[in-house]
Amino acid sequence: MKKSQKSTGIITVSTPIDDEVIHTLKIGDQIELQGKVYCGRDAVLPRLADFFLENRLDEINVNLKGSVIFHSAVSPAGIGPTTSSKVEIEGSIPTLSRAGVKIHLGKGALSMDTAKALAENNALFAITPPVSALFTDKIEEQRVAAFKEEGMEALYELKVKGLPAIIAIAHGKSIFTEQA
Amino acid sequence: MLTKKEIEKAVRDCLVKAGTTFRADQHKAYRKAIERETNLNARWVLERIVENARIAKKIKAPLCDDSGIPHAIVEIGKDANLPRGWLSAIEDGVVQGLRTMPGRPMAVKGNEVERVEQSGGLFQDPGKLVLAPVTVKSVSGTRIKITVLLLGGGPEIRAKTYRVFHERSMDRVVEEAARWITTEVKNLGCTPVVPAIGIGRTHMEASALMLEAMKEGNLNRQSPLETRVTQWINATRVGPLGLGGDTTALGTFIKVGHLRASGVRIVSARPCCCFEPRKATVILDGTD
Repeated sequence: MKKSQKSTGIITVSTPIDDEVIHTLKIGDQIELQGKVYCGRDAVLPRLADFFLENRLDEINVNLKGSVIFHSAVSPAGIGPTTSSKVEIEGSIPTLSRAGVKIHLGKGALSMDTAKALAENNALFAITPPVSALFTDKIEEQRVAAFKEEGMEALYELKVKGLPAIIAIAHGKSIFTEQA
Repeated sequence: MLTKKEIEKAVRDCLVKAGTTFRADQHKAYRKAIERETNLNARWVLERIVENARIAKKIKAPLCDDSGIPHAIVEIGKDANLPRGWLSAIEDGVVQGLRTMPGRPMAVKGNEVERVEQSGGLFQDPGKLVLAPVTVKSVSGTRIKITVLLLGGGPEIRAKTYRVFHERSMDRVVEEAARWITTEVKNLGCTPVVPAIGIGRTHMEASALMLEAMKEGNLNRQSPLETRVTQWINATRVGPLGLGGDTTALGTFIKVGHLRASGVRIVSARPCCCFEPRKATVILDGTD
């Protein structure tokens, strides 16, 4: 089971996420993520995209099929979304979606070109407030997955329970252009 | 006589409080915003921000993982006695505060090029994040008032310091600054904002006044002009996290400094994020 809905209307989405779950999610849906979530931002996402394009993801033991990437550093200060429209981050979204990432989690609006690339790969963009103390409560495990030399900007793998988010871009539609 | 150790400890505690605690005016502003917010997703965001503040206080954790670049404003009484090395005591207090909170270890290693390109790696020690240049002001009395502010990266991407031709109109100047903010809030992500606006003679002075606006501002005490700026920004309906709704700004802080004979004012405007201004003040006794 990769998706379930609570009585509160909040949808639980577990990783790895299959295509069918993505088909059913729409902008404005409130979700809670369960399972493994990668964290990476400016420094590592372009590198991760290059590893995919060079067929080298096995070398770093990273499997992006059905995954979530949270645009966040991981440090003793916690985790929290950075601005996803930064060149290195937004620029990597199309390639990482092709690599199998199903939910890109961050904050701020993205371009309609990126929305189109997400739709072409049946992937979504979700947003979450920078509520780091609350997130700390939701992390069960964490480890460096790759690019350790980047310090807090390394690629981390977290195990989370109930990480809250809202679907912002899905199936070519953006909440930032359709909001009331 | 005040000692260096007392200053260090006071600054350490002040920094931790700034980074982990919502003030009463923030709690009240969020309560009011939640009550009047009509967009359900926007209200969900506002409630999460308040829940986050409750947890941060309980577990003494940073409100945001971008724990910010430390800044300090020091107001020294004309008759206050300060120990030798008081400024280094403030710097040491910041280092201790960053290690205690803990702050995010985001200081960049290396020479000028390596630092710009972030190619030499990062320090693991949160205390390596050096305090920004300190603003020092002279005031009356014998007390020393130290305010520590933590400035996050998102608002820095969206802030602007530039000239405005005032045309002998305060409205003209403030409307221009509000326009800068309204064009930026959509991409900020961490709305609702509190715009901080400094108006001065030079770029350095305008930035310092913007910081003072953050220091002095109180969401419970808004001037008619500050209220108007807040209303303009809320009219964008960008809303919390860009989700739409009624709450794009919680309030506005404006500080006007000394001005010069000229048709130009230098204006610094910063859209402080949903946790900002993260600030705390300590007052020390400077009598013998």
